[in-house]
Amino acid sequence: MSYNYIELISLVLLAIGCFFILSGSLGLIKLPDVFSRIHAAGLIDTLGSGFIVLALIIYSGFSLLSLKLLLIPLFLIFTSPVTGHAIALFAHESGYKPRGKNKK
Amino acid sequence: MAKLNKDSLKTLSFITYFVILFVFWFILSGYLKSLLLFFGLVSVLFVFWMSYRAKALEEDSLPLKIILRLPFYWIWLFKEIFKSGVTTTALIWNGKYSPQLISVKASQNNRTGIANYANAITLTPGTVTIEIDKKTFLVHALSKKLSEDLQTDDMNKVITDLDK
Repeated sequence: MSYNYIELISLVLLAIGCFFILSGSLGLIKLPDVFSRIHAAGLIDTLGSGFIVLALIIYSGFSLLSLKLLLIPLFLIFTSPVTGHAIALFAHESGYKPRGKNKK
Repeated sequence: MAKLNKDSLKTLSFITYFVILFVFWFILSGYLKSLLLFFGLVSVLFVFWMSYRAKALEEDSLPLKIILRLPFYWIWLFKEIFKSGVTTTALIWNGKYSPQLISVKASQNNRTGIANYANAITLTPGTVTIEIDKKTFLVHALSKKLSEDLQTDDMNKVITDLDK
């Protein structure tokens, strides 16, 4: 019986993670310029992958495997801002100006 | 924590770093045989020697000072990420974004703290650090509310306190 609860919780968390990834992908297409699109990519990196890893940890039960799974978001915490910052800095230095919504 | 002098603080930090490396090796391998543990010890010593030689264990990056506060900081950071992530998601779906550039002042007084703050800003969805000029960040925010959240200076204070 408790097995079903665990499955249900991890399913819900997986659905939340998928929703954040969907929103991030939509943002990548919809938002107006480079800088805004980095925000959408950051959403996928942090919340999307975070919730999916959390769901997998709950699904697999606590073991050495779940500690290994915990290392994935830990590495993402360090690497994802670096890539985001690198893209933003390069766009800034090559002269892109951030665009508002109504200005074309 | 009692006030330690510089050398003993450094030694303690080295030991902490060594233990962290070994725990990391154990999590990734999961072996308990004594021969394999010995090989793990050798590889950890090698990595330790390399990071010592690369001067990665300088004054700025000693792990001892912040290691106890780090888990709490990560929990707090995850809460912040979740809050601004929900805001950003709502902005993407309803299209009411108004991107803007702001400048943010940092009050940390070492390089690790400043890098930490810039990373935390980039990590929370909706704000990206573009450029760092000494202690002023150029930040791109997706909406007015997100930039105002940043200008309340809460995050700055938490990260400055992390290093005391």
